[in-house]
Amino acid sequence: MPNLKELKNRISSVKSTRKITSAMKMVAASKLRRAQELAESSRVYADSLSFILSSLAGNTKNSADLPEILTGRENSKISLLIINSSDRGLCGGFNSNLFRNAKKWISDQQGQGKSVKIMTVGKKASSFYKKTDLDIVASFEDLNSNDRQLQVSEEIKNKIMELFENNEIDEVSILFNKFVSAISQEPTYQSLIPLSNDETSEDESESINAIFEFEPDKNELLEYLVPRNFLTQIYRSVLESSASEHAARMTSMDNATRNAGDMIDRLTLTYNRTRQAFITKELIEIISGAEAV
Amino acid sequence: MINLKVVSPQKVIFEKEVEMAVLPGAEGDFAAMPNHSPFISSLRPGQMAIMSSNKVDESFFVSGGLVMLKEKVCEVLVDQIEPLSDVNSSNYQQSKTYQELEGNETALGTFEQVVNNPPYK
Repeated sequence: MPNLKELKNRISSVKSTRKITSAMKMVAASKLRRAQELAESSRVYADSLSFILSSLAGNTKNSADLPEILTGRENSKISLLIINSSDRGLCGGFNSNLFRNAKKWISDQQGQGKSVKIMTVGKKASSFYKKTDLDIVASFEDLNSNDRQLQVSEEIKNKIMELFENNEIDEVSILFNKFVSAISQEPTYQSLIPLSNDETSEDESESINAIFEFEPDKNELLEYLVPRNFLTQIYRSVLESSASEHAARMTSMDNATRNAGDMIDRLTLTYNRTRQAFITKELIEIISGAEAV
Repeated sequence: MINLKVVSPQKVIFEKEVEMAVLPGAEGDFAAMPNHSPFISSLRPGQMAIMSSNKVDESFFVSGGLVMLKEKVCEVLVDQIEPLSDVNSSNYQQSKTYQELEGNETALGTFEQVVNNPPYK
C-alpha cells in the first residue's frame, strides 16, 4: 500500500511544477506577442529593400555584370549553413526538429560533393554541433534582447562576407523555424548566396525596373545594398526564429500544465483511496478488538 | 502632398503626408515632391528636413540609408535616425544614435555639424 506521506509530498511537488510551467506559459505568451510585433514591423523594411534590390538586379540584363556575391560562384564546393536555434530548452521539438532537418540537408549537400560548414546561433545549436565532426566557423549566443539580435545579425553578416571574400565558402543558406502560427512552426531554408529572389516574379521586376533612375550608379548602389540585404535577411530570420521559439514554448508548457493537472487528479484519487483504506482498516481493528472482549 | 514613409530595420518610424522633404542623397541633396521622376538613391549622413512653404517643419539627422521615390510616395530606409528637436550641441553625444555610430568618424562629424549648424533651418 502506498505511503500516505509519500503521496502527499508527490502531490505538492507536482503542484509546484504545474505552477512553474503555467508561469512559463504566460511569460512565453507575452514574449510571443512582442516578438511577433517585432517580426511584423521589421517586414516593411525588408520588403522595400528586396524590392529595390530586385529592381536593380533585374535591370542589369547580363547577369555576368552582377557581383559574385549576388549570383554565387560557378562550381560551388563549400556550403555554409547558419542554424538558428534557441538559447534555452523547454520548448518542445523546436530544436530537435531543426537539427533533424539540418542533418538531412547536410547529407544532401555532401551527396552532391560539397563540403559543409556550420555557423550556429543559440546555445542549443552550439552544444549540439560541438559533438559532431562538422566544421563550425562561428557560434553566437545569448540573443536575449532586440539590440543584441541586431548586433548578432551584424556580426554574422560581417563574418559571411569575410569568409566569402577569402574563398572559404561559396554558398550560404540560413535555416530557421518559420513562424506560421502559434501552434505551428516550420523549419525553413533561405539561400543568401546566391540570392534567392522568388518573392518577385520575373515580369513584375521587369516592369518596375524600366522606370527607375539610380544614383549613384548601379554598381556603387549594389555595393551598399548587398550587405544591407544580408543583414536584413539574417535579422528577419533571427526574429522569426525567436517568435517561433516563444510559440513552441507556449504550446509545450501548456501541454505540461495540463499533464500536471491530470497527474494531480490521479494522485489525489490514490491518496483519498489510501486514506479511506487506512480508516476502514483501523475501524475493523477496533470493532474486532471490541468483539473479542 | 507626398507620402513620406521613414523605416528603420526594426520598425516604421513614421508615415505622413508632407509638402516637401529634403534628403541628403549620395550625390547631393535633393527635394522629394509629388511627381518626381522614379528614383532610387543611397543616402549619405546628413540632415533630412520636412518643409512646407519654404520653412523647415521638422528636422532629423540620418546616418545613411536608401530612398525610393515614385509618384506620390517617398520611402526612406534609414540606418539610424535622430530627431533634431531632441538634441542640441550639449547633449547630442549622449543620444543613442551617437553611441551606435561609434567609430564611424565621418558620420559623427556630420552629426555634430548638423546639430550645431543644420544646412536647412
